[in-house]
Amino acid sequence: MSAPLPNLPERAALPDWLRGAISQPSAAPADVQAIAQAQITTWGLPTLRDEEWRWTNLRAIMRLPAATAEHTQWQPSPLATVLPDALVIQFSAGKLKAIPENLPDGLTMTALNTAEAALRHAAFAPNAASANDALLALNTASAHDGLIIDIAANTSLTRPIVLDWQDDAGTSNHSETRVLIRIGPHSEATVIESTYATSAATHWRNAVSVIHQAANSQLTHISLGLAGAARLLTDRSFVTLLRDARYRSINIQLGGQLVRREIDVDIREPGAHCDLLGLMMPRDKQIMDTHTRVTHAAPHTTSNEQYQIIADDAGRGIFKGRILVAQDAQKIEAYQNSRNLLLSNTAEIDTKPELEIYADDVKCSHGATIGRLDDEALYYLRSRGISRTDARRLLISGFAQEIVNALPSPDLVAWMSAQMDASA
Amino acid sequence: MKLLEIKNLHANIGDKIILRGINLTVNAGEVHAIMGPNGSGKSTLCQVLGGRDGFEVTEGTVEFEGRNLLDMETEDRATAGLLLGFQHPVEIPGVKNIYLLKEALNAQRAARGLGELDTFVFMKQVRELVKSMQMDDAFLHRGVNAGFSGGEKKRNEILQMLLLQPKLALLDETDSGLDIDALKIVSEGINRLRGTDRGIVLVTHYQRLLSYVEPDFVHILYKGQIIKSGDKSLALQLEAEGYQDILEAAS
Ligand SMILES: Nc1ncnc2c1ncn2[C@@H]1O[C@H](COP(=O)(O)OP(=O)(O)O)[C@@H](O)[C@H]1O
Ligand SMILES: [Mg+2]
Repeated sequence: MSAPLPNLPERAALPDWLRGAISQPSAAPADVQAIAQAQITTWGLPTLRDEEWRWTNLRAIMRLPAATAEHTQWQPSPLATVLPDALVIQFSAGKLKAIPENLPDGLTMTALNTAEAALRHAAFAPNAASANDALLALNTASAHDGLIIDIAANTSLTRPIVLDWQDDAGTSNHSETRVLIRIGPHSEATVIESTYATSAATHWRNAVSVIHQAANSQLTHISLGLAGAARLLTDRSFVTLLRDARYRSINIQLGGQLVRREIDVDIREPGAHCDLLGLMMPRDKQIMDTHTRVTHAAPHTTSNEQYQIIADDAGRGIFKGRILVAQDAQKIEAYQNSRNLLLSNTAEIDTKPELEIYADDVKCSHGATIGRLDDEALYYLRSRGISRTDARRLLISGFAQEIVNALPSPDLVAWMSAQMDASA
Repeated sequence: MKLLEIKNLHANIGDKIILRGINLTVNAGEVHAIMGPNGSGKSTLCQVLGGRDGFEVTEGTVEFEGRNLLDMETEDRATAGLLLGFQHPVEIPGVKNIYLLKEALNAQRAARGLGELDTFVFMKQVRELVKSMQMDDAFLHRGVNAGFSGGEKKRNEILQMLLLQPKLALLDETDSGLDIDALKIVSEGINRLRGTDRGIVLVTHYQRLLSYVEPDFVHILYKGQIIKSGDKSLALQLEAEGYQDILEAAS
């Protein structure tokens, strides 16, 4: 008999519909699923008492209404016209539509639920360790849908891969998706995930992606959170970097009532580097939260994080960036900068660096600022005849441009800027 | 035709009384200079006309082409044809000059019921202005006034003025911080705006700009009031005798 968990009464019990979801077989190997089922049943969903969830309340998930609609219509991907040569893979309410035919050489894609056991083992590799990881356990216990992307050695993919997540309430109000991306040695790829909803119905997607980068590989991983005032997204990425690999994440969130992203980068071998760039623009009552965790496990590794939050109305933005430098991981450079803009008195921004450094030859810097729109600048623009609304928009997009301009194609930059202006 | 008519204007900043009854009329075709020692209230007058927050008008009226200027929003004053050249132009690192110019011009056009200017035509016009102000094209893609020298900022103010073609330009210390070459470029720019249908008000505490842009009228503002008005010879007298004598004679 195991002892009762001391904090059991305070944990949020799983809603019934979620209990149902985890009792079915998932795409995870049976033994892996069994552990995760036990974990999520014990832990329940994370609460404000869990250290990593102190600022983000999952109440909205507990109150998720039952699904009503049948499977929604497929909409064309908004990015298909912006990036005409993209390989677009569409998902609706988590369900994979189809894998494109005639993939370029060196690229293989497999639907998660039909993949062989070894691949599924790799996709479900990270283990949940504590109640902070409850959503990972939930995903392992219940994800059927997803994709495995394999890029062979010495492959330079020029066409971006777009994972188009249309998170509309379909037959379910909830989906669990899992993606595995493996980039072979000396290979290069761009993966763009766009998440949006076309209807006002609430859908929650809990996503996990597992990324392995072999030596000297490069991945640009873009996450664009677009329209959908009611949708909820919880999304965790686990990235492993081998020698000289480079991972670049650009995380731009404009929509959704709740968006929580966690990006865990494990820099395992010398010479590897990651850039984590992010822009979150919560407004109305939106909550947008990113937690990054960069582990420098090997010497001669570098990381650079630039995060921005622009919070309006009663929006809440959260950025927590953890940098861990292991003992004996010398010659490390780790930079983190969090620049934020509060546009209203009822908006809220929480930003926190967290450094754990066990080596001594480490260059590490972090900074955080929270400012307001510059009244002088606003007045100056208005004195040129520009309306208050347009002047505000110019200043806001000026503030955000550092991140938006980091997008890899001018067409994507222009399109994303227009999305921002439309939602501002 | 009257462009601007200021009558008995009083204004405070906080509890501090700055303007104590200004009277000034500017007609189309005229160039006025307002001179006065530092702290007289020249910039305050400009900012009150611009509609900046924090300045309280306690008495008096201002009409712009017969409309009550003080009731209008800052941007509406600009689209009505009043352009303020700042003594200290604001630095806006995130917004490129080209965007400011485009948005400002389109706002002017929208106020006149015109559509957006064709990008090609706009760029051609802007490039010509950049050249005439002897600035570099790269300037267009830099942030507004960001890291500009004092002289560059003032040239930028004139460039914006020439693009927007205001009915009344109110230029606050546009000559300060300029070397002689820049002063000539800026003066030429101002002279290009000069015309029978426009008014220009130059605010300065030196005479030197006025030898390049000859004013029709010169006013001396001191302690929040215009204590003396005259023609351009008043500026020369100031230059020769200094403020002290004139202020003493007037008080
Ligand atoms: N923001 C402000 N708050 C308080 N006093 C101010 C402010 N701006 C200007 N003043 C005061 O108003 C007076 C007039 O200043 P200003 O209009 O700038 O004069 P000028 O442009 O003629 O040099 C000065 O005494 C100055 O100290
Ligand atoms: Mg002044």
